[in-house]
Amino acid sequence: MSPKGRPEGEYRSAQHKGSPVGALRGEEAVVTAYIIRRLWQMIPTMLGVILLVFILFNWVGGDPAYVLAGKIANQEQIDNIRRQLGVDQPVWVQLWIFIKQVLTADFGASWSTNERVSNILATRLGPSLTVLVPLLILDTMFAIGLALAVAYVRGSLTDRLVMIVCTIGLSISVLVYIIVFQYFFAYKLGWFPVQGWGNSFRENLLVFSALPILIALTVSIAPNLRLYRTFFLDEINQDYVRTARAKGLSENRIMWIHVLRNASIPIITHLMAGLPGLLLGAFLIERFFSIPGIGREVILAVERSDFPVIKALTVYVAFATMASNLLADLMYKAADPRVQLK
Amino acid sequence: MIALPLRTVVGASALAVSLALAGPAIAPAAAADMDKVIRHVFPAGEEGFDPAAAHDLYSGTVEQAIFDTLLTYDYLARPAKLVPLAAEALPQVSDGGQTYTLKVRKGIFFTPDPAFKGAKRELVADDFVYSWKRLMDPKVRSPWTWLFAGKIVGLDEAAERAKTSGRFDYDAKIAGLEALDRYTLVIRLKQPDYNLPYVLAHEPTSAVAREVVAAYADEGGRVMSNPVGTGPYRLAKWIRSSKIILEANPDFRGFVWDFKPGPGPEDAQIVKEMKGKKMPQVGRIEISIMEEDQSRLLAFQNGELDLMNMEGPLAPKVLNGGTLTPDMQKKGVKLSRFVDPELTYHYWNLTDPVVGGLSKEKIALRRAMAMAYPVEEEIKVVRNGQAVEAQFPIPPGVVGHDPAYKSSIRYDPAGANALLDKFGYRKGADGWRTLPDGKPLVIRYASRPESVGRQLDEMWKKAFDAIGIRMEVQKEKFVELLKLEKQCKLMMRTAAWIADYPDADNFMQLLYGKNIHQSNNACAAIPEYDKLYEQSLRTPDSPERNRLYHEMAKIIEAYAPWRLDISRYRNMLVQPRVLGFKKHPILHAEWQYIDVAAGAK
Repeated sequence: MSPKGRPEGEYRSAQHKGSPVGALRGEEAVVTAYIIRRLWQMIPTMLGVILLVFILFNWVGGDPAYVLAGKIANQEQIDNIRRQLGVDQPVWVQLWIFIKQVLTADFGASWSTNERVSNILATRLGPSLTVLVPLLILDTMFAIGLALAVAYVRGSLTDRLVMIVCTIGLSISVLVYIIVFQYFFAYKLGWFPVQGWGNSFRENLLVFSALPILIALTVSIAPNLRLYRTFFLDEINQDYVRTARAKGLSENRIMWIHVLRNASIPIITHLMAGLPGLLLGAFLIERFFSIPGIGREVILAVERSDFPVIKALTVYVAFATMASNLLADLMYKAADPRVQLK
Repeated sequence: MIALPLRTVVGASALAVSLALAGPAIAPAAAADMDKVIRHVFPAGEEGFDPAAAHDLYSGTVEQAIFDTLLTYDYLARPAKLVPLAAEALPQVSDGGQTYTLKVRKGIFFTPDPAFKGAKRELVADDFVYSWKRLMDPKVRSPWTWLFAGKIVGLDEAAERAKTSGRFDYDAKIAGLEALDRYTLVIRLKQPDYNLPYVLAHEPTSAVAREVVAAYADEGGRVMSNPVGTGPYRLAKWIRSSKIILEANPDFRGFVWDFKPGPGPEDAQIVKEMKGKKMPQVGRIEISIMEEDQSRLLAFQNGELDLMNMEGPLAPKVLNGGTLTPDMQKKGVKLSRFVDPELTYHYWNLTDPVVGGLSKEKIALRRAMAMAYPVEEEIKVVRNGQAVEAQFPIPPGVVGHDPAYKSSIRYDPAGANALLDKFGYRKGADGWRTLPDGKPLVIRYASRPESVGRQLDEMWKKAFDAIGIRMEVQKEKFVELLKLEKQCKLMMRTAAWIADYPDADNFMQLLYGKNIHQSNNACAAIPEYDKLYEQSLRTPDSPERNRLYHEMAKIIEAYAPWRLDISRYRNMLVQPRVLGFKKHPILHAEWQYIDVAAGAK
């Protein structure tokens, strides 16, 4: 048997020698060394990200001074703005400022609104996560549960019907879901508010996020269900499942304990790969439902060529991606102790 | 409204005639009912609320509710008419239009704020002097510098000194900007400027308190998030780009609603609903930012919004041409509709080697392109019927507009083809025309990568195909378009200009040669036009000035730096519970003039 879905770590069968305590300590040391090594590897990766973002922005990002100068401005005023923003500095100076900002985690203020970037992230992440975290939990639970169920009855009419529904669901644009759901469930039926955001977490979660979560769940569950189903089918066809059946284990135990455990590694990979996306919010959902989340800020920052905000978000997402990959590797180990980190 | 005594206007008498109006009478404060709520919507986020620093429409709307300018516009008068606000009366003009004297109304106080350290802070003339200096402070990098730049004696020099020293000296006396005493303000101009009163009604010239700037300014000397003004409302809560809550300023001086109705039943009904009421009536304004058309419309139809501007793409859903659909009428929804004081036009860069220049064959090329463009089709297809064709470079609602004027440039593809043939733009074997010297002729049309931009691409492609001219589309982000435009590097683009103030000059300056690299995006330097424009600056609003504008309009048609396109309708949807609402063409915020029906809180 070989664990699947391993983007970062490599694995080999564990062969513990000596006493169990000694083996445990040895294992801890290996994990610690692995984490330190991976953290070190983040430095050149982050430098690469910084360089790439810097080159891309300077190449295609646009010059915000012309917008900030207003309707009627002369070149002198535009130059004054460029000087204040620092975009008149030599390229290497601007790059060094970027690196210092990353090191100090201080990206200054938005060029267009003068709001501190730290404040933008602090105030916009909450609303995005209010929608996305419950969505992630619900989506994972439903997709895994349904995928396991249809994998269990693979080839049956139910399985085929579910797959057809999933394929149709996948083919429809998220925009259609939003427009139709908002029109019927919010406007026509009045089950939810059409849009808005309240003052308390409870109100936001239970009242204003309900329809956005429902829509996002409808959109995301179909591809995830199909994906997880293939993970489960891969496992169901393995020899160990036949052996378990031959030993007389119940189907429930085989599916929920053995199959689920062995399929968990690619599922973890998939889930962890999606985690950094939480930092980017859900742009369309946030726009349609007037949720003051980070997704709207991302688009506004790009539209306004607001480089401090773009820089901060890119760096944080890059860091979150690397961190979630590391976390995923550690979770492989937790899910399957035979996995060895090296 | 009790009329204040009119001031005698000295000097520029023509201006005096147009400005001779008094402001609203002061009423006991705190008339507002905090249970009365108006729910408004913006389709885009706001920058912040520093009158000197923010330059988007939505920030300006909120600023108008929080701050006071010296002058404002009469709520019902059309065309827009200036009346005093923080000033006691309209300005006295002397020295042949070069000196303006205004008295700040006594007893106006800023909203209490910790910046004032517990003292009650009265608005004085020095507050305006300080606020206007901020527009010129390089550190603030105000987008409104142009309102005063080059106009006031000594102000540009003060700004120059600030560039050298790195600090604007707010304490230094400026000859052209003087507070003679606590309430008297004198403005001395370098040359007569008959538009200055309009500038004094524009929200960037609102009064801010120096103590507030000292207490809350950011690194750029801007106070975007702590607006403290003397207006009818104060900022109670702000979630950036999401929610803005305004509450009635309990210390606001108030006024009694007494505006004179114009002709027509709409104004009569408004007067019936509002006359004699102490204002403001509405205690709370809740503004939501909703970027999506569908969300705004559904929220309005669901009763979650009271006021909503109906943008073009939504219009067919609730409008049959210029009236509400029966469904909306049945719900009692009201429509406040007029042609916006704005102009959309297509321009060609007159410094471009292909389409630019003042030679006959270049003029013929531009005129042919202008004649090939079907404006009526654009109104129908792109604008959903929510626009009128522009015939004159000064749009409706703006002083100097002539509704009877008809442009000589008409949609005439056959005429356009004949013109091109005549001037040597011959068609090759492939069906496409070449330049008179035989070189390829390709027009590069620049636009934004959004839906209206794409629709205009298609409209122009069709027009160019009809006259055998190859067209390429140059897609750029808005910021890049602005940059290339100001550098005169675009060949052709569609642009729009909305009135900052309702005077012809705000539009006619768009083709003035000295405004190249600023607002003259056609990069046009046409000597005859420039001469007439300079003459118009020296002439107050009068038949003589209108004659100059007619001549300038003819020059635009003759040289064709522009193809006049459209002016769009403003359609404001109003819930039946809202009383006294009429969209003003220049004012952004009408909340202080309206009410909510009893029992409909």
